[in-house]
Amino acid sequence: MDIGFSPDETGFREECRDWLHANVPADKRPLDAADAIGFDKAWQRRLFDAGWAGINWPTDYGGRGLSIVQQVIWLEEYAKAHAPWIGANFVGINHGGPTLILNASEEQKAYHLPRILKGEAIWCQGFSEPGAGSDLAGIKTRGRIEGDELVINGSKIWTSFAHVADWQELVLRTEEGSLRHKGLSWVICDMHAPGITVRPIRKMSGQTEFAEVFYDDVRIPLANVVGGLGNGWKVAMSTLSFERGTGFIADQVKQSQEIEELIAAARANDMIKDDRIADQLAQLRAEVAAVRAMTYRNISEVVRTGQPGPEASVIRLFTSELGQRLERMAVLLMGEDIIDFAYGDDDAVGDYLRGFAATIAGGTAQIQRDIIGERLLGLPKSR
Amino acid sequence: MDLTPNDEQIAFQTATTDWCRGNMALEDARARPESLWAELEAMGWTGLTAPGMDLDHASEALVFAELGRFLAPIGLISTAVASRWFPDVAEGKVALALTASQSEPLRVLDPAGSSAVLMGEPGGLRLFDLPDSFTDQGGTLHTTAHAQTIDLSTMQSRHEWTSSLWTEDDPAPALHLQLLGAAYAVGCADAARDMAADYAKLREQFDRPIGWFQALKHICSDMAVRAAAARSQLYYAACALDENAADAAFHVAAAKRLADRAALDNGRANIQVHGGIGMTDEAAAHLPLKRAHLLQFIAPAARETLLA
Ligand SMILES: Cc1cc2nc3c(=O)[nH]c(=O)nc-3n(C[C@H](O)[C@H](O)[C@H](O)COP(=O)(O)OP(=O)(O)OC[C@H]3O[C@@H](n4cnc5c(N)ncnc54)[C@H](O)[C@@H]3O)c2cc1C
Repeated sequence: MDIGFSPDETGFREECRDWLHANVPADKRPLDAADAIGFDKAWQRRLFDAGWAGINWPTDYGGRGLSIVQQVIWLEEYAKAHAPWIGANFVGINHGGPTLILNASEEQKAYHLPRILKGEAIWCQGFSEPGAGSDLAGIKTRGRIEGDELVINGSKIWTSFAHVADWQELVLRTEEGSLRHKGLSWVICDMHAPGITVRPIRKMSGQTEFAEVFYDDVRIPLANVVGGLGNGWKVAMSTLSFERGTGFIADQVKQSQEIEELIAAARANDMIKDDRIADQLAQLRAEVAAVRAMTYRNISEVVRTGQPGPEASVIRLFTSELGQRLERMAVLLMGEDIIDFAYGDDDAVGDYLRGFAATIAGGTAQIQRDIIGERLLGLPKSR
Repeated sequence: MDLTPNDEQIAFQTATTDWCRGNMALEDARARPESLWAELEAMGWTGLTAPGMDLDHASEALVFAELGRFLAPIGLISTAVASRWFPDVAEGKVALALTASQSEPLRVLDPAGSSAVLMGEPGGLRLFDLPDSFTDQGGTLHTTAHAQTIDLSTMQSRHEWTSSLWTEDDPAPALHLQLLGAAYAVGCADAARDMAADYAKLREQFDRPIGWFQALKHICSDMAVRAAAARSQLYYAACALDENAADAAFHVAAAKRLADRAALDNGRANIQVHGGIGMTDEAAAHLPLKRAHLLQFIAPAARETLLA
């Protein structure tokens, strides 16, 4: 076991650092999706042009074809350089693209992957429905086959960036009368197709970042099905494994900066003299260190065996709850200034309010605990 | 960068686990046979860390976590550390003293049959020449009085300070002790987790295994999360020591802090998962909890180090 990096990897790290140092935008990313979309697309394009998009994606589709370790190094340096959150590109880069690489046809990959990498095509994820959140297999949105098309009716909800997206990972029922995990398909849905209505939803933090999506006789070519008609559950599971897995490395690195800022803030306002606060900060700093250790261990596992172990759910749960503990500490250190919070503020209170998503989106903390108990510890399935 | 054990390390780890399972079952921790120490010596675990063995900290951490999982004698930690840092003087079993100031007597753990006592201090180690028993000139045998500790597998004694050897100006020896203490605590946390998960699969209520109920399943999942975080940090800390990293002291302290918390929290959760039987003296569920309470005092992580 070792925590060192090879000369090649260290050289790569320096390359990342130098480029980021010279290129990270000086202006802040706007918080609202509609305002941020131009920013997100331009930044992604700049990353692509300089060779920093899709570091471990295949070269055939515009990626760099490098190792997952280099991908981690890039994300570490990215966070250290305070580079902007990838925002609207999150779905395409972190799980839409990887799902296509694993499951899509040559044609689908050749068309979509380069567009994702260049920031030309924004993707969103249409999994959750009003009646099917944690219980994803309960989805009702359906597609009737007519000739070489699917005619889609139904609705999705909580779809992040739906109002600015061009494409959607849409999971729907394509077999009439099918139940639960059977008869589902994973489809590339054109968000500009006639019959789609998007109703943006505002969050408690003030941003309008997700939306409800209605489908009224929307026609999508059957050629847009990924991984075969009726195989939607399997493909959706691979999407979720990407969403819950390496997609969060960037957040993990950010936490190591946040804890240093919190300790500095507590020193500055003397709250560190409170033994309880000092002890909590010490504990948080140890936990943040463990996140890196867990990530490295998981990445090593991927390198060694080709896939992440079931421990990915452990990291996901630990990181999401740790992030919330950090946000709560930041708010605690603010004292009564929290009272001044107003929509549009981009401060610790906004992070704290947005941070509730960490244990809800992409599978709630309760669902993660089920997965850990059942897959890692072998306890009987509750559902 | 690779934080997974290699094949050789896995083999070493597995061999350790297998031996412990066959010869040092956790359930027997309350009454270890006197012959156990000789067996551990014969198996080589007492001399494993000697300078000539050239074993890296990562391998040591792996093996000591397995030993800790079976609540191996506390004296193994001090003996291993002493054999690295006082190779010329430390011979045979070395007991472990909790860190104390000169005004208070030493609290010595696992004194039986020891020739000396090791004590960790911030920044160094002391080795006292304090035999557990000796024969005076008149031929009378003097044995120190031993008393129980909360951890039924560990006895203790009290000693006044005597002159001691001291590792000067080197932070590494104290970190070595803290790392092995963390490894023991990681093993202890694992033991409680596995005991709870096994019981949750076996015990039935309302016509199904209790692990079916989420309230219980999620207690077990949290045990797994705490154990995984502590173990990962243990590996990282061991590597940081192996590479003489500038922040090694922080990483070892973080490992000890997380491992101590995991051992204690998992120890408590394990009792709850067992219900009434978990509260009995007869069942083994209390053994990891009590061991965890003891481990909190062995080279604890200093808050200043964690915040430095
Ligand atoms: C900020 C944000 C962005 C999102 N973006 C997207 C997106 O882009 N695309 C998308 O498809 N979805 C998205 N989601 C939706 C997200 O995946 C769901 O919110 C999530 O899966 C939970 O579903 P739900 O909201 O219906 O809650 P419910 O499933 O109704 O859960 C309510 C509560 O009940 C608990 N619960 C439910 N079932 C169980 C059970 N079996 N055992 C124990 N507890 C249970 C949950 O843990 C939760 O605490 C987003 C959500 C958020 C908050």
